[in-house]
Amino acid sequence: MTEGHTTLSLSHLTRAITANGTRRVLVDDISYSFACGTVYSVVGPSGAGKSSLLRLINRLDEPDSGEVRYNDRDYRELSPQELRRHIGYLFQTPYLFPGTVSENLRFAEASLTDSQIAGLLDQVGLEPGVASADVDTLSGGEKQRIAMARLLATQPSVILLDEPTSSLDPTSTRGIEKLIKRIAEERCLVAIMVTHEPEQAVRLGGETLLLVKGRLVEHGPSEQVLNDPQSDEGRRYKGMELS
Amino acid sequence: MTEIGFVDVAISLSLVAVAFVVSRFWKVPVQKEMSLGVVRAFVQLVAVGYALEKIFAIDQIWLIALVMLVMLAVGAREASVRTKKLSGAFWLAFSSMTTGSVLTLAIMLATGLFELKAVIIIPLIGMLVSNSMNAATHTINRLYENLTDNRLAVETALALGKNWREASQRFRRQAATAGMVSIFNFMKTVGIVALPGAMTGMILAGKDPLEAALFQLIIGYMLLSAVTLTVVMVLELTVRRFFTPHDQFRPPVRL
Repeated sequence: MTEGHTTLSLSHLTRAITANGTRRVLVDDISYSFACGTVYSVVGPSGAGKSSLLRLINRLDEPDSGEVRYNDRDYRELSPQELRRHIGYLFQTPYLFPGTVSENLRFAEASLTDSQIAGLLDQVGLEPGVASADVDTLSGGEKQRIAMARLLATQPSVILLDEPTSSLDPTSTRGIEKLIKRIAEERCLVAIMVTHEPEQAVRLGGETLLLVKGRLVEHGPSEQVLNDPQSDEGRRYKGMELS
Repeated sequence: MTEIGFVDVAISLSLVAVAFVVSRFWKVPVQKEMSLGVVRAFVQLVAVGYALEKIFAIDQIWLIALVMLVMLAVGAREASVRTKKLSGAFWLAFSSMTTGSVLTLAIMLATGLFELKAVIIIPLIGMLVSNSMNAATHTINRLYENLTDNRLAVETALALGKNWREASQRFRRQAATAGMVSIFNFMKTVGIVALPGAMTGMILAGKDPLEAALFQLIIGYMLLSAVTLTVVMVLELTVRRFFTPHDQFRPPVRL
């Protein structure tokens, strides 16, 4: 890895919850190292711990054990605010605050100038004129792009994307996929994206992590993990035997 | 006004009898509640009347403090029930109501506007506590609903690097408005739509209307102060319970 580039690694990351007296492990002893410039797809059946893993990396939830190292430091050494500006999170359903597009971008970064806002909108494939639009007038695809622009406003070096295209039409989905790949490469970001579509992970290229019951059961180039899995769970996931 | 006795109360019951007959004739099924309300109000008010007679006669600071403590505890208990038993709601309500009421009362005593006499202080405490209780209840309930209904908005703000205070700002503001809406409405309509209780009581007791109005103004400002202090305090105490020290959103459970 080139010196000065972002590093992110997980070491024995574990989180469990207890509900109604039953303990359920959401993330089970996951260790992995991510490199910048690559898109990582996180796939797995429902309840595999995909979103839980992203929430741990963003520290929206606290791990029971293990650690996340960001640029070779335990991420707990940074304040949650600072950490989250470096490690951005895009929720499955984008939430835009009431108001205009530019107000939303300035919510993330108050010092943004008009030209910087135009630049961010350009990066996500939107016209500068959208800046003054009320968020209620936007389409689903546009909202997702604005949420992406807002995420980029803090200049994160890691972006966590939780099924960002799940509610979009195929055209918007392809657009968002291209955008994620381009941004990850251009800015040398670590992009980690949860998806429930194996085909999407293949389209994105990069690496894929397959999670089953909170465990990382297989990882490697997306094409290989999804089309030629080496593990039993991988083969069962491919054969849609895991739900 | 002439002296009032139990006979007068019995006469006023004729009004209830009229209402009872009318409601029965028109088949509005409220007779049971009416009867219960009449008996309950009689027992409660007569008991309080006798108790206050004794308390006013003793007129000691410790007794005033004790009465205040009981009123605050009962008020906080009622608030905790009305907040659908949010865990720890009693202490949230008790501490904020105590701050609002005691501080307001202390300032009024320090300015010399009121004497430290049971006959003056206890009715004032009653007004302060009941208004603070309503404000605390509405504030807690609205804050809980706003934050839990808007989890995505709160977590979006946190994920963008905002702290708990920034992430909850909009919802705290709405909760504060909900907690204070009654006192704001009171201030808006006072004297126009209705004459408030204290003023009415003074006028009925034969006091000069202007004097009664000025006294009511003082009461109104006291209530505004107590309610504001209670709302600010209860917001601060309640909202912190929704976030961990690492700015993670964890709404408290309702029992």
